[in-house]
Amino acid sequence: MNWDYLPELLKGLGTTLELTVVSLLTGLVLAILFTIVLSLKVRVLDRLVKLQTLLFTGTPLLIQIFLIYYGPAQFETIKNSVLWPLLSQPWFCAMLALALNSAAYSTQLFKGAIDAVPRSDWEACQALGMTERQALIKVILPHAARRALPAYGNEIILVMKGSSLASTITLMDLMGYAARLNAQTYDTLTVFTMTGLIYLAMTGVLTLLIRFMEHKALAFSR
Amino acid sequence: MAILFALAELSRFKPLALATSTLIALLRGLPEILVVFFVYFGSTHAIFLLTDEFVEISPFLAGTIALSCIYSAYASQTLRGALLAVPKGQLEAAIALGMSKPHTFFKITLPQTWRHALPGLGNQWLVLLKDTALVALIGVNELLLQAKMTAASTYEPFTWYATAALIYLGITLVSQAALKQMQARSNRHLTSNTSNTFSQHPVMTQEVTP
Repeated sequence: MNWDYLPELLKGLGTTLELTVVSLLTGLVLAILFTIVLSLKVRVLDRLVKLQTLLFTGTPLLIQIFLIYYGPAQFETIKNSVLWPLLSQPWFCAMLALALNSAAYSTQLFKGAIDAVPRSDWEACQALGMTERQALIKVILPHAARRALPAYGNEIILVMKGSSLASTITLMDLMGYAARLNAQTYDTLTVFTMTGLIYLAMTGVLTLLIRFMEHKALAFSR
Repeated sequence: MAILFALAELSRFKPLALATSTLIALLRGLPEILVVFFVYFGSTHAIFLLTDEFVEISPFLAGTIALSCIYSAYASQTLRGALLAVPKGQLEAAIALGMSKPHTFFKITLPQTWRHALPGLGNQWLVLLKDTALVALIGVNELLLQAKMTAASTYEPFTWYATAALIYLGITLVSQAALKQMQARSNRHLTSNTSNTFSQHPVMTQEVTP
């Protein structure tokens, strides 16, 4: 193995991590908002949330990234608007696509966790004189969040792996550097094996972290 | 391939089980795009190293191999869970009836595994469907690449990418409906009472229960 490639590849690691963290957090905030909207059945808004989930879970992430990055250039009004400096940046577009995608999948997950909370919990809250909103925020959500944690762990890893697609819109992340190095050296097996090892190390660390969090959060159920 | 993986992982021959687990963990831990690139560019490189000849693997073949590897890695996990979910009593009953081992596997275990595995396999089919978009990156002429070329020649990227997205959405919705039908069919012999316990099965509720 030629270890000279390693520093070159590690240059992209920062971008990959940054992209993953920012889009996960944005996606998480959106997903929590979406779940609240769905659970409280806010009119009109819950339709929109359902449509968003359908669109983003039903289409490939790669197309979403392409659509957000290349799509807006078709319209003069967007090109002239204040949003254009943001939308013409590959980093922002990749982040937006990943965040919306993650939000859609997480919303499904959180909604499932909330539906799995026993009815009696709602009834107990009612008996204590809590309003529906209070019950949701104070009792049901924390409970459901713990239940959703294992599945959300998978989502974290999926977003990390999905961030590698950002290299297709010219963003130089880990995969971007790997593809460039491959094109420069033609040493395909070495370059991609090394990249794979870095990704595996990241998934490994993440899995351990998630397991630790689960252990903490679910301590009460043991 | 997934069935083979699942059986190998459950096999009593430890080295085989370990090797398969490692392979599956590798495939699941890597980004799909890296696997696709690895198979496409890597196979050419490997052939070049071995034979000193430059042979170009067709992108379609490389894409198919990569996607089937990824799919079988995920599907084998579902199958493994489903195989373990078949009650032991069923096997014992088959042995008591004097059925041979292969006979038991094909006539008793596999049909029941299918019922337990169907929801999981269905989800993975939907994931695979979306992963097919990735092979556009190595030049397979599929939906996304067509959309890309049309977008480039008409200067209407939004229209064409949105169309491609809608076609994918359409296929997803049709598959979902078909899967629902198949699930209903595979559970047709269950009475409402037993189907209720089935829905609480660990394979199905994996997502929400820790």
